[in-house]
Amino acid sequence: MTGEVARYVVGEERRLADILSDADVVPIIRGVLRVGVTEALIADAAGTTLWREGSAAAGGIAEELPLYLEGEEVGRLLVRGEGGSLRDVALLMADLLNTLVVNNLKRMLTTEAHSAVVDQSYGELLDTNRRLARSEANYRELAEHLEQKVEERSRELKQAYLRLLEQEKMASVGQLAAGVAHEINNPLGFITSNLYTLQKYAARFMTMLDFYRTTFDKGYDCKVIALQAAAKWREMKLDHVCSDVEDLIVQSIDGAERVRRIVADLKGFSHVDETSGGEVEINAEIDRALRVMEHYIPRDAELVRNYREIPAIAGNPALLGQAFLNIIQNAVQAMPSGLRLVIDTSCGGAAIRVSFADNGPGIPAEVRNRVFEPFYTTREVGKGTGLGLAVVYDVVTGYGGSIEVACPPDGGTIVAITLPLRRE
Amino acid sequence: MVLKLVYYGPAMSGKTTNLLSLHDLLAREGRGDLMVLDTADDRTIYFDLLPFFLTAPSGLKIKVKVYTVPGQVRHDATRKAVLQRADGVAFIADSQTAQSANNFASFDNLEKNLALVGLDIERLPLVVQFNKRDLPDVVAEEDILRTWGPTGVPVFTASALNSWRVVETFGALAGLVYDAIDGRCRLGAVHGLQRDAFVRRLTVRGEE
Repeated sequence: MTGEVARYVVGEERRLADILSDADVVPIIRGVLRVGVTEALIADAAGTTLWREGSAAAGGIAEELPLYLEGEEVGRLLVRGEGGSLRDVALLMADLLNTLVVNNLKRMLTTEAHSAVVDQSYGELLDTNRRLARSEANYRELAEHLEQKVEERSRELKQAYLRLLEQEKMASVGQLAAGVAHEINNPLGFITSNLYTLQKYAARFMTMLDFYRTTFDKGYDCKVIALQAAAKWREMKLDHVCSDVEDLIVQSIDGAERVRRIVADLKGFSHVDETSGGEVEINAEIDRALRVMEHYIPRDAELVRNYREIPAIAGNPALLGQAFLNIIQNAVQAMPSGLRLVIDTSCGGAAIRVSFADNGPGIPAEVRNRVFEPFYTTREVGKGTGLGLAVVYDVVTGYGGSIEVACPPDGGTIVAITLPLRRE
Repeated sequence: MVLKLVYYGPAMSGKTTNLLSLHDLLAREGRGDLMVLDTADDRTIYFDLLPFFLTAPSGLKIKVKVYTVPGQVRHDATRKAVLQRADGVAFIADSQTAQSANNFASFDNLEKNLALVGLDIERLPLVVQFNKRDLPDVVAEEDILRTWGPTGVPVFTASALNSWRVVETFGALAGLVYDAIDGRCRLGAVHGLQRDAFVRRLTVRGEE
């Protein structure tokens, strides 16, 4: 409600001139003049003439009647003329004027009330419109703001997730590095120990050689030298030393070779030396992953490789290697002893198919569709990040490929990856 | 001097009947004719007016114009126009129990419209009439008194149709209006018109 109130006040004091206009009165006065009235005059309450037609000069009798406004006399009508009907004409004219006054009052009130209602309704409509426009603007701003907020938050979440995936990859590499360190430490241990032994042996050889040089320099008899030398030889157990040196050196070379190979595998797996936009040999990449996990895969595990020939595909080999490693790791964790892992690779049409089938306990049906979900893990808190297969999913879909996990009724889990030969 | 009294109330509560009854009961001298402006099916569309004219001993001419408002909800604009600059209000309620909600809504509307036209309901002379006591199934008088007693507003039970307590209602309102304007207009002190005389002159009964 705007509180609009009509300007028209019922009962406000009004004069006759406020209610009647020339247009109302003049035709009536002229009309009565035509029916024999010689003068018609309307005066207000104060006696002031408001309208007058005709002239008193013509004489005749005068009829005077009151005019009312809301029951109160506000003026007088004077009609002058001749004839018996003058009184009737005067009464008729007074009735006409009084009716006009009442009707004009009603019209004024109605018009005012009407425009007050219209103004008020219009004002209310404008108000409503303004309020609606305002709230619409608010909602729009809120909506835009919300969209922006959601976008920001999604971006943040996506970045956090990507960071976590990176961390997970790093973590696997870290675990790998720990295993590899152990692998390297073994040969390094015996190589070092062999070197220490060889150092001692070398010292004995030096002592022996030194003996020969000094005795020859002194010009001793050959037989004496031979006797003394044999005693010294025995004393330093050089027969044994000589036979041992060969073993030590062969062993050490072998150890060094093992270290070199491990480092080469690791480098190959990580593809640190390669520039981006390389090529991936799927079969070789699976082998690399298996090799760097050699220490991790139980000795009794049976690995079956059914590789078919597969053309190289474009991409980052380190990422795919990481994915294969995660899958193999899962198989090993599912079956710590008695593992049989069958790896099939094939190429048909425009796709490469790689599958890893283990003989583990399988994945319960109710959680099978959640295994790629980030942070979903069935392992104890702290044992699994829930990101292993999420990383695999990330890598495979990054290649434009797809991945499925199936558990055949006779047990085990099959992880099947399909990669397009040519990426979009 | 012009005084404006307004008969307010819900539709069909008998405001016009009150005025008709006053018109019939009171002496012809000193009052004008009842003007009934347009009705449709006996319902007031504009307003009714019953004017009274009196002259104080000092010669001061006093017009008392008594109006009714249209009770129907949709004529609110007209009600406001009538209510403007009122000197007193008689609220005519319908005693029938079924009409309680309408009475309440109308009184609420009166309060709102008074505020809109700048009148203070606490200070405006106000009387309440519970009309139609002749009908069955009306609100008990004790209940009415219990409700209105604490407000200090004079309450009349009446039957306008039977001209019962209509003049009393009007007289009480006139008395309150006198009280309200006497201080400002000095009716008694300067114009020699006392409260009793004022009320009596407005409520002179006509010859049967």
